[in-house]
Amino acid sequence: MQKKVIKYTVALILLLVVGYNSVYIKKLSEVKAASTVGKFDAAAYAQTFWKEKLTPGLTKANNLPELLTLLKSEKENAFKNYSHALGIGNLRYFLIKGEGKITAINENDISVTLLPDSVGKDVKIATEFVYGNAVRDALGILSINDFSNTMDMNNVSAELNKKIRTEIIPPFRAQAKKGDVVAFTGAIELNQAHLRLDEIEVIPVSLKLVRD
Amino acid sequence: MSPKVFVKEEKAQVQTPSLKASALSSSYSQYLVKFQSLIALFILCLIISLLSDKFLTVANGWNVMRQISVNICISVGMTLVVLTAGIDLSVGSVLALCGAITAGLLKFGIELPSQDLFIGFTLLGAVMAGMLTGTLLGTFNGWTITRFKVPPFVATLAVLTIARGLTMLYTKGFPISGLGADFAYIGTGWLLGIPVPVWISGVIVVMAVILTNKTRLGRYIYAIGGNESAARLSGININKVKTTVYAIAGGLAAIGGIIVTSRLDSAQPNAGISYELDAIAAVVIGGTSLSGGRGSILGTVQGAIIIGVLNNGLVLLNVSPFWQQVVKGLVILLAVIIDKANSKSE
Repeated sequence: MQKKVIKYTVALILLLVVGYNSVYIKKLSEVKAASTVGKFDAAAYAQTFWKEKLTPGLTKANNLPELLTLLKSEKENAFKNYSHALGIGNLRYFLIKGEGKITAINENDISVTLLPDSVGKDVKIATEFVYGNAVRDALGILSINDFSNTMDMNNVSAELNKKIRTEIIPPFRAQAKKGDVVAFTGAIELNQAHLRLDEIEVIPVSLKLVRD
Repeated sequence: MSPKVFVKEEKAQVQTPSLKASALSSSYSQYLVKFQSLIALFILCLIISLLSDKFLTVANGWNVMRQISVNICISVGMTLVVLTAGIDLSVGSVLALCGAITAGLLKFGIELPSQDLFIGFTLLGAVMAGMLTGTLLGTFNGWTITRFKVPPFVATLAVLTIARGLTMLYTKGFPISGLGADFAYIGTGWLLGIPVPVWISGVIVVMAVILTNKTRLGRYIYAIGGNESAARLSGININKVKTTVYAIAGGLAAIGGIIVTSRLDSAQPNAGISYELDAIAAVVIGGTSLSGGRGSILGTVQGAIIIGVLNNGLVLLNVSPFWQQVVKGLVILLAVIIDKANSKSE
């Protein structure tokens, strides 16, 4: 009996010591106030990036029909000179621009045939599932070292994509009709090792209807 | 010395050469069976080192040891479960949930807005909470198996899904990253020239060896796996032992989860997928019988090292990940066939 009492007393003391060193209690309002100081604001960063870097940088966008021709004839050169990516891997991003005639308005995207007609190439403009890092990385000016951790960096992509989904696509989609001509800029993702030019999807940065 | 024994010895001395050869070959085959995992490991190392000059280096050795330490943690728990003729398919998901809870509590604590209270967790607190979660899930496994007589395969399969779902709910499908240097030390640090995860798995192995060989619980585990009815009739509390074993397996999966999370400095909602298969493979390759009652912790450690070396070797040899899975599957199959053959010969 005495042995049991000693055993349970020791266990209780141990539990109390561990418990005391395991948790601390503070006022939530104080913690929240402290946590906002110096915290990375991905939304603000994305907004500044869009306004001060991406929009002026669109002047460097590659003409999509010309880029596609180059990718067919000189793949290595095209990737080397015009693509960007953070880190290693086969997925690389191109900043592009072009004009196309809308051939179909689908649930998740809009199909366009690139102009001039002689190009005869169909691409899709994403209007529903805007994900990934294409827009963030296509300009090639951001570096991993600009961020203290990968989550902050990924949050910038998420904010840029959110802006495209909520501000760029809805007004365009509301007006776009089959047969319209659209002038677009944006980013595309291509796999250098397994290049497929028949499934190109543009993540739009700007969309402007040019009525035919 | 009794005359009977003397006669036996006399008989032994006049054995024919064919009998002597047969006895010798029988003793050789016994040695082969006993050290089959070590022999397989030696042959594997020899082949890989001949094919890749990067294999037999100190850095790669530590790399392999660090990688297998998580599997060793899980496999030790799995061995105890398999020794009772059970199986635990939930360890991979339990690993993910415990890693997420540890990371979540460490980073975000618990907020109680209605009370304007914030409960923060120190490193010790978060790790303890993670381990407690694993142990509780393991206990739940044991409880459903013993209380409702649900087959272990089904009960732990259910917990596999439950734990994965809870992980997704807790993390909202996103990784929890940026957990601090102190926490990262668990998975990436060095102590006395040896990686910390190797120390952790080493301590677990020593404790498990003592548990299985030197304690009453260890003897009960073997007894239940060998013959459950006989164990029950001899007064062993089967339900208590089984629940304890599943609780230990859950706790060890939690430790694996904490190591993985610390190594990556991030709790991934998809962490630990198919880890249970690697653990079962290590157990089987290490010679533990899936029907229970036969096997050892050290055998499992050898099995885990074989899988680790195999994984590492296949990567160094630039084998496609698809082929890696095929090769691993074949090795497991071979191990089970050899185990069956050994059981028959015994």
